[in-house]
Amino acid sequence: MFDLAYFSQTLVNGLSVGCIYGLIGIGFCVIYNASGIVNFAQGAFVMLGGMITYVLLTTLHLPMIVAGSIAIIVVALLGVLIERIVVRPLWDRNATMFVMILATLAVQIVIERTTLILVGDQPKSIPVFTDLPPIRIGGVSIGYQTLWIIGVSLVLIALLALFFQKTLVGRAMRACSINREAAALQGIPVSRMLALSFALSAALGAIAGILLTPTQFTAFNVGTPFAISGFIAAIVGGFGRPFGAFLGGIALGLAQALAVFGLGSGLKNVAALSVLLIFLFLRPSGILGAAK
Amino acid sequence: MPTLPTTISTNAGLLLRYLPAVLAVGLIAYAIVAGGHFVTLAGFALIYAVFVTGLNIFMGYAGQASFGQNAFAAIGGYASAVLTATYGWPPIPALIVGAAGAALCAVVIGYPTLRLRGHYLAMATLAIGLIVYEVTVQWQSVTQGYMGISGIPPLGIGSWEVTSDRAQLIMLSIVVTLCMASAWLIRNSRFGRAIVALSGSEDAARALGVDVARYKLAAFVVSAVYASLAGSLFVHIVGFVSPEVFGMHMVILGFTMLYVGGIGTITGPLVGAIVINLLPETFRGLKDYQDLVYGAALILLLIYAPGGLASLGNALKRRPSTPIPATAPKGARP
Amino acid sequence: MNRLGVHALTRRFGGLVANDSISFDVPVEGISAVIGPNGAGKTTLFSMISGFLEPSEGRVVFEGEDVTGVAPERIAARGLVRTFQLAQLFQNLTVLENVKVGRHIRTKAGLWAALARPAWARREEAETERRARELIAFVGLGDQADARAAALPYGQQRLLEIARALAAEPKLLLLDEPAAGLNHDETERLSGIIRRIAAQGTTVLLIEHDMKLVMNTADRIVVLNFGRKIAEGTPTEVQGNPQVIEAYLGGVETPHV
Repeated sequence: MFDLAYFSQTLVNGLSVGCIYGLIGIGFCVIYNASGIVNFAQGAFVMLGGMITYVLLTTLHLPMIVAGSIAIIVVALLGVLIERIVVRPLWDRNATMFVMILATLAVQIVIERTTLILVGDQPKSIPVFTDLPPIRIGGVSIGYQTLWIIGVSLVLIALLALFFQKTLVGRAMRACSINREAAALQGIPVSRMLALSFALSAALGAIAGILLTPTQFTAFNVGTPFAISGFIAAIVGGFGRPFGAFLGGIALGLAQALAVFGLGSGLKNVAALSVLLIFLFLRPSGILGAAK
Repeated sequence: MPTLPTTISTNAGLLLRYLPAVLAVGLIAYAIVAGGHFVTLAGFALIYAVFVTGLNIFMGYAGQASFGQNAFAAIGGYASAVLTATYGWPPIPALIVGAAGAALCAVVIGYPTLRLRGHYLAMATLAIGLIVYEVTVQWQSVTQGYMGISGIPPLGIGSWEVTSDRAQLIMLSIVVTLCMASAWLIRNSRFGRAIVALSGSEDAARALGVDVARYKLAAFVVSAVYASLAGSLFVHIVGFVSPEVFGMHMVILGFTMLYVGGIGTITGPLVGAIVINLLPETFRGLKDYQDLVYGAALILLLIYAPGGLASLGNALKRRPSTPIPATAPKGARP
Repeated sequence: MNRLGVHALTRRFGGLVANDSISFDVPVEGISAVIGPNGAGKTTLFSMISGFLEPSEGRVVFEGEDVTGVAPERIAARGLVRTFQLAQLFQNLTVLENVKVGRHIRTKAGLWAALARPAWARREEAETERRARELIAFVGLGDQADARAAALPYGQQRLLEIARALAAEPKLLLLDEPAAGLNHDETERLSGIIRRIAAQGTTVLLIEHDMKLVMNTADRIVVLNFGRKIAEGTPTEVQGNPQVIEAYLGGVETPHV
């Protein structure tokens, strides 16, 4: 029998995980727009966000807000480091796209394995931000963490919109995404934009990871599945459009939730890949059309 | 060989070029003679040589990226395991069914994504790698989940089975020779030229009438069949299969081998597979560090030796004025 | 009958009109050229004719058939082959192999033929080899057949690209600025090669910046400026056309020949 409460519950869960996919998807777009690179290490940022927060909470017993902030900053710095020591030399050599993809994927593996060695393979979790019983609306219960995820995502979207439209740096990054050569001629330091895009995208990934970890868990190997979902979100939104990617993330989250509702939870990733393939088949330029 | 760089003209250069391949063959021959633990290692190296030869056709020749080759190996491996151990099929038909399944899967993934830019396929293949892994874990009635399937018979035809270590190694050597020969035949044909051409310039290839999307798909399917064959060989040699066998590490290992041996060359996959499997035996003990080391090595190779270890030798001899030949064309980045 | 008919071809990029209702015919015989100052829309026009760019409006008729919006590889298979402004060689192939790829549409061996090498495929490959070597000799690269294409100096890369296009036995050969980057002697030789191609029955349509090459080589010229056709005729007619002089030189002097 059709269970409306369970159905609504599934949709709410899909919406919140969709926001996370959206944030990861935006991370892909930010780097892609600045450089044309698809960063396959994006998932590592998500994993590290939750993992570093966990380590700080359990070893130093820092308050959540401090632990989270440090994690975001560390991951952002790591993003810059990756840009400097791996991406930049290849970029300067004008390496092909697939070399770039392979290198960033190798970075993902290195981070994943280092994490495994340092903290082990057991899943870790962190406490929810607000420890109150969930709000009940009809038969649907909405946890405070879900509200946190949706709320923080929306605030981030608004901040990003302001950043890209109002600030000089944000506008310079947009100029790079439209035409890198022209931007360079206008005196925009394109290479600094590349470093900045890695920092921004890493920070977004870390925030997504921190938001998500209390409701699920984090482990050394959660990065790649999240990267794939975030990438699909970016494609569904029309690759290179940050806000399209957010909508794409929500669409993917809901589609996955429906697949879990209808077919069982084992098929979550199969559903995501099917969404990707169907989308590429029917409308490769995304919901809103491609950025170019 | 038509891919000979023009910079090598001396006999010493030729010797240096073929030295790794000669050493590789020597090591395998030694393993056959010496026996023991070395045989097992050499066997794994040869199985990986098949896997990497397929990867090389798609990446080295066609210039495309696939991160899901482990999925095709898993399809081949599990088809062989389930059909022979559970249903009592003879190995060869099981192997063919596995290869057909891998090819079909490659078409389903490749058809929508290969018309688009490279990162779409890259991500879709990364996803199929994870999905096949999940399926092998979840579909317990067939795959027995984490437990895996044991009691897989050795390869053979009819009542004749290849059981002894040495016989298996000889058989693998023959299979690898056949695989490399077919890779050579493919490379030096109208088909092979078309896929190498499109890796150089898709526009120019289309302007000459090459149906770029179709040829990329064909190269992808060929590489999937090689991977599937490697998967089948593995389960018959080891006699056991579990989901972990075809994990993501297989992909990173494959790439590292390809870059160590020399991407886009016929002997590169074999050389890379042997170097990675036989020489750093010390690393193999520290299993947790293995992927870390390979991942880091891959990054270093990509940055400092994009043509593989063999190209380092060339770089030393090359006149400073000659540009370093790119393993893939420049400017393909979007 | 005309080899190629361009009918009211228009292409807009956003608000910019790169090609504005351009029409002309290319007869079967001889060499035609499209000239015009930088940004006149020559390359856009070529891309639309060869199928790489969909026109906003208008039609392209090749050999009496409408090929508007047909994919480039299919247009090539019908016998319309182009080269590119910046030589687009297959860098990982040798000079000989590059030209062999040019035989693609004239041959049919696939994957199975590659593996099994039946007699017909071996004959086909031998024929491909023979034709490719002939063409390499024709453009004067005979002694470099086994060099990597990327190792050739730029002038020879341009010649290789022409040999590769000829291997497809095109009915119509589109050359996009074939003399760009060539020195005086190389341009002279190129001019001779283009005339010999046309004499062997291949229609040639070229875009060119180098006035000397065009005036010495072309039989008919179409002049573009700001995306519009402003003149058409023989080299002499075009040189005397006041609008052309105006467009090219701001009315100061006549084009050098």
